[in-house]
Amino acid sequence: MSAHEIANGQLPHEPEKATLEGRNKVLGFWLFLGAETVLFGTLFSAFLALRHNIGDGPKPSELFELPMVFAATMILLFSSLMSVFAVQAMHRNQVKPMLGWLLITIVLGLAFLGLEIYEFTNYVKEGHRMNTSAFSSSFYTLVGFHGAHVAFGVLWIGLLILQILKKGLTVVTAPKIYVSAIYWHFIDVVWVFIFTVVYLMGKVG
Amino acid sequence: MSSGNHSVSEGEARRHKVEGPRKHIVAFVLSLALTLIAFAAVAAGEINTQFTYIILVGMAMIQVFVQLAFWMHMKDRGHMFPIIGIAFGVIVVFTMVIMASYWVWW
Repeated sequence: MSAHEIANGQLPHEPEKATLEGRNKVLGFWLFLGAETVLFGTLFSAFLALRHNIGDGPKPSELFELPMVFAATMILLFSSLMSVFAVQAMHRNQVKPMLGWLLITIVLGLAFLGLEIYEFTNYVKEGHRMNTSAFSSSFYTLVGFHGAHVAFGVLWIGLLILQILKKGLTVVTAPKIYVSAIYWHFIDVVWVFIFTVVYLMGKVG
Repeated sequence: MSSGNHSVSEGEARRHKVEGPRKHIVAFVLSLALTLIAFAAVAAGEINTQFTYIILVGMAMIQVFVQLAFWMHMKDRGHMFPIIGIAFGVIVVFTMVIMASYWVWW
């Protein structure tokens, strides 16, 4: 059994790295992110190879609207900063501020998802469906997969907030917060490539 | 025990010199600036396409590097294995992208 509390009842500095279990969790999560990199890499390479095959569908430069993409980018960048603040609050053992930052993080994540759903329904109205062309299929697969990751992250961090409320911040729950923050940054990193490769390059031609 | 020892833990935090938010704000401002440059390069339009591509990919690479180093703590101590893990993923990705591009276009 792992000790849930350190002898004097205080959390150690950097509680996510205080136990071997926590350190292993962080390391294992990085290896998972390596696999996620490969997953998104294959989706990106498929998109890059197929993005000019638009068939009868609309061209990417006609379809994409930069203001909406820019808004989504800003939302995700801000939410990434919020989860940085959450981890910093955790390092100071300030549980309530940490929960507040996490809450803002997932609210921004939900806003991003709402914007993406609105965007996709607009595209479908303009005749850009999943089965329109190789471009549309690879677009929805890549961007949709990223959206699914955001949705999973919102669910995950939401459940972590509930768990912290129930069990408090311990050497067992702290690595989960740390790892979920890394996951959230990873989602933002993938989005950097999506807005660059899919939207901006699509707009250029 | 989570909120009761608030003041004690702040003392502990001070002893350990918990990192301030400054470098994370710097990383945020850098990311913001790099994003703005990329969007501006496209919104301005009618620049040479090849040149725009180079700007876009360059800005994305720098931004990812900034976020990995600061926000994902890669520059902190003891991140050897994470770097190896991600580097392996990146190698596979570059191989995939280059292969798919050449295979399909040539």
